[in-house]
Amino acid sequence: MFLQHLLNGITIGGSYALIALGYTLVYGVLKLINFAHGEIYMIGANLGFILISLIPAMPPFLQGNLILLLLAVVLVAAVICSLYGYYLEKICYRPLRGAPKLTPLISALGASIFLQNFVMISMGAKDRIFPQTIGMQAITMGGVSFTLLQLVIIFSSIALMALIYWFINRTRLGIAIKATSADPYMASLVGINVDTVISVTFMAGSFLAACAGVMIGLYYGSINFTLGYLGGIKAFTAAVLGGIGNVPGAMIGGFLLGVIEALGAGYFSSEYKDVYAFFILIAVLVFRPAGLLGKGANERA
Amino acid sequence: MKKLLVLGLLCLVMVGCTKKGGQEAGVIRIGAAGQLTGPEAVFGADMLNGVTLAVDEWNAKGGVLGKKIELVPGDDQAEPRQAVAVANKFAAEGVAGVVGHFNSSCSIPASEIYHKAGIPQISHASTNPKLTDQGFDNVFRVCGRDDQQGKAAADFAVQKLKVKRVAVIHDKTTYGQGFAEEFKKNLGSGVEVLLFEGITKGDKDYSPVVTKIKSVNPDLIFFGGIYTEGGLLVKQYKAMGGTAPFIGGDGIMSEEMLKIGGPATEGTYATFGPDTKDIPSAKGFNENYRKKYGEPGVYSVYAYDAANILFQSIQAAGGTDGKKVLPVIRAIDYNGALGHIRFDARGDVKESPYVVWKVESGKFKQVK
Amino acid sequence: MNGHNLRHDLFYYLGMLLICAPFLKSHTVYVPLLFLGVWGLRRFAAFAGENRTITGIREQMESLVMAHSSLTVGSILAIALLLPFVSSNYLIDVLTSAILYAILATALNITVGMTGVLVLGFIGFYAVGAYTTGILTAKFALCGFWIALPLSGLAAMLCGILLGIPALRLKGDYLAVVTLGFGEIIRIFLTNLNALTGGPNGIMGIKRPSFGVFALDHPRDFYWFALVMLSLIVLVVARLANSRYGRAWVAIRENEMAAGALGINVFRKHLLSFSISAFLGGIAGSLFAVKQGFISPDSFTFYESVLVLCMVVLGGIGNVVGSVAGALLLIIVPEFLREFSLYRMLVFGAVMIAFMVFRPNGLLGSRLITEEIKDSADDDR
Repeated sequence: MFLQHLLNGITIGGSYALIALGYTLVYGVLKLINFAHGEIYMIGANLGFILISLIPAMPPFLQGNLILLLLAVVLVAAVICSLYGYYLEKICYRPLRGAPKLTPLISALGASIFLQNFVMISMGAKDRIFPQTIGMQAITMGGVSFTLLQLVIIFSSIALMALIYWFINRTRLGIAIKATSADPYMASLVGINVDTVISVTFMAGSFLAACAGVMIGLYYGSINFTLGYLGGIKAFTAAVLGGIGNVPGAMIGGFLLGVIEALGAGYFSSEYKDVYAFFILIAVLVFRPAGLLGKGANERA
Repeated sequence: MKKLLVLGLLCLVMVGCTKKGGQEAGVIRIGAAGQLTGPEAVFGADMLNGVTLAVDEWNAKGGVLGKKIELVPGDDQAEPRQAVAVANKFAAEGVAGVVGHFNSSCSIPASEIYHKAGIPQISHASTNPKLTDQGFDNVFRVCGRDDQQGKAAADFAVQKLKVKRVAVIHDKTTYGQGFAEEFKKNLGSGVEVLLFEGITKGDKDYSPVVTKIKSVNPDLIFFGGIYTEGGLLVKQYKAMGGTAPFIGGDGIMSEEMLKIGGPATEGTYATFGPDTKDIPSAKGFNENYRKKYGEPGVYSVYAYDAANILFQSIQAAGGTDGKKVLPVIRAIDYNGALGHIRFDARGDVKESPYVVWKVESGKFKQVK
Repeated sequence: MNGHNLRHDLFYYLGMLLICAPFLKSHTVYVPLLFLGVWGLRRFAAFAGENRTITGIREQMESLVMAHSSLTVGSILAIALLLPFVSSNYLIDVLTSAILYAILATALNITVGMTGVLVLGFIGFYAVGAYTTGILTAKFALCGFWIALPLSGLAAMLCGILLGIPALRLKGDYLAVVTLGFGEIIRIFLTNLNALTGGPNGIMGIKRPSFGVFALDHPRDFYWFALVMLSLIVLVVARLANSRYGRAWVAIRENEMAAGALGINVFRKHLLSFSISAFLGGIAGSLFAVKQGFISPDSFTFYESVLVLCMVVLGGIGNVVGSVAGALLLIIVPEFLREFSLYRMLVFGAVMIAFMVFRPNGLLGSRLITEEIKDSADDDR
């Protein structure tokens, strides 16, 4: 049973990690908790639904290549979501660059409420069902049962994380993001366009969140406009667990959170499922005040 | 200084803004209260659609007592505080009756305000026994009570299915947990309750609970909750190789359950009112609802009947005065989309026969 | 918009149209509204550029004077006292809610505004206070309201201390998450501990307080009672703000290390502000329990914590009267918007964004005194 819980935890943990990356990247450059990020995840899931519903309308020769089509759906949804991230930053955060720290937070909350209700009014309040496509049969190996889709999701999450890791550490833009996280003033002095970097950060985070959204939609089969709230809180907790502002930290935090929840709910009471993560978080923070991989905890901002 | 004056002015404007006593204006106002925005907005939408259908039907026939019916929606966002605000607003606007609220935690504080104002309140979904146990003469409900439904489900499980080991899952809401506890209470000594667990509403991933259920290997799994979680639970359980059947209540008795759960829902049981397919009023409801709004939600039909009861009673009483309408409601013998409804002294449905339905070949069918 | 910006703006709006398109379908009529809103936002943001920086000393003094001017305060109190005579029960109920939230916002202001500590789960204290009163007076009928009231405050304060001791050692945003966790933990425990709290069914039948035989059953009577409580609390907090403690808190907010170097025991002061906030939150909770007569975990969600935080920021960080104004605004405005039913929250979210973009310092300005010092320090660099 332990392995089963572990596998379940890793699957959901992957999606937490992808969303947490968005939180952590934005926090790194802006020192801001982007509360609207959960809604971007939700928009990604909904866009995935809209796009998948278009598949039956496609010419038959394309329909045969289901996997390719799904990939296309994820890509298009992710691109549109990254634009959402761009506009979110431009409208809600850029005008507030010099303001007291709490102001953009409230703006973020306003954006979160707005986006959630926007999607609710547009898509209706009902759950939307994803058509059951591939890989849904249960396979049992060594007492652990899983589905092909589950494996695909786990590997996709890891692949995306590898992608973002490569992006942050090996490309010019990624290094510019790191530089801006470290010191925006100095970064602008060495010729980095801080505005562009911040926009790209939002876009990258949103891209990942959208991928997570579509995958969750495919995996669980039903989505609605309320995904952002729970998903957002959990992912944010995961990001803090790993050390907010720290990219590998977010990844580890996400997986860890998923596993803790699965184990806690599995072995103890599932009624307290949401609390286990917080307890572990508090415990971790007592011993490592900056999260698992975070630094600079001695100075209060 | 200016800003505070503006704030003060806002308050004064609000004083004038609330419409007072609409009855003279030649319309009859009916309030529909529920969560129109927020995480559970789908149920508010179902309710509103059901009530609107009833309102449109009556208005097409010339309204009630010759006056048009005006529907006033009230959004309580499933929050008791807002429910109280909505109730006060309805009272100030002089509505003739209220369909609502959805959550018992909203209906209960609101009922006090409706009671003081003498406004009839018919809840379409609040199942907490305490709502009518309060003894207010203006509170009714067309849905069942947890204790009735729990007993029906338990009796079926023990007598018909003859199960010996059950796992009980609920969604930690007033409805779900109450239902689950009543079920457990009525199982009797011959049945072993292996699990009594709660899941979080809004969560998508139930793999820990499902794994647990599978490991205790029950004969039957009881679920107290709504189809949004129920469908996912059944699907994930079957996906993990589980084979035991599920039993639930009116919360999972919906097309949406079949859609969300997919083929995994085959063989699932649910308690609900008897089949109304052959009652003409019910047939009309399903067709008309589908034409305008798509598939009816679980509570649409309850809201529709609640509204119809209000309209019929106001018509029969000859006026909207609560003192005249309330006795009419209490004595009413109503036939509607839910079947035959009569109220007892507390405001609950008198005979609330629950029968058991089963999903066969992708559709709910009443078990004989 | 001159010619150069036109093309840029065109792409900007086309982009917005593109990303909204999947969601619009039959609602395309709202597209021009959306654009208008965003265009307006950008125009006025650009126009109000200079005015969006931190307020200067002059405006600071103005807001301080405003907060203490007896004429202003007196006239507002007079309006508040007389309002119930011209209002419906609906308005009185909304105002009473607003008053309770004002108490909450004032309490939160001590921690968030004055001490500069972000708290995301404040509603937990509200819940502890409400449930303490509910359990003591209704569920187990151990005592009357007047004893339950301070006990609720103390219970909340105890929670605050227990939470603060480990949490206040953490850095800003980590602390915020821990407080978020606290709020959620409280709510989940309240939902699950059936025997003590009634679980999801909550506690019913909480009676209104009474002065001897005179019970505060009428909405008007309770409104005045709440108003008195609010006034007392605002007075106390305003005095605190001007006291040694208040100044210590502001010093900690502005620069913790310097404050520590000056001999302020930072941790103790943090704990003090946290406990006082928690205590007042508990008092507010107790009042809420008797106002509604019925409490359940539904009333104490994360969204409520967020709402109270918004009130503090909207009113002006650190500004005591501002919190009250923020509370009034955020409770009364959505009531106006009830006419829009479905679109109510959409408009509300948009208004919040617009508000912050236009007035980042809140309605009545915030007490960020040392921003001037920072600015002048920049000049010397």
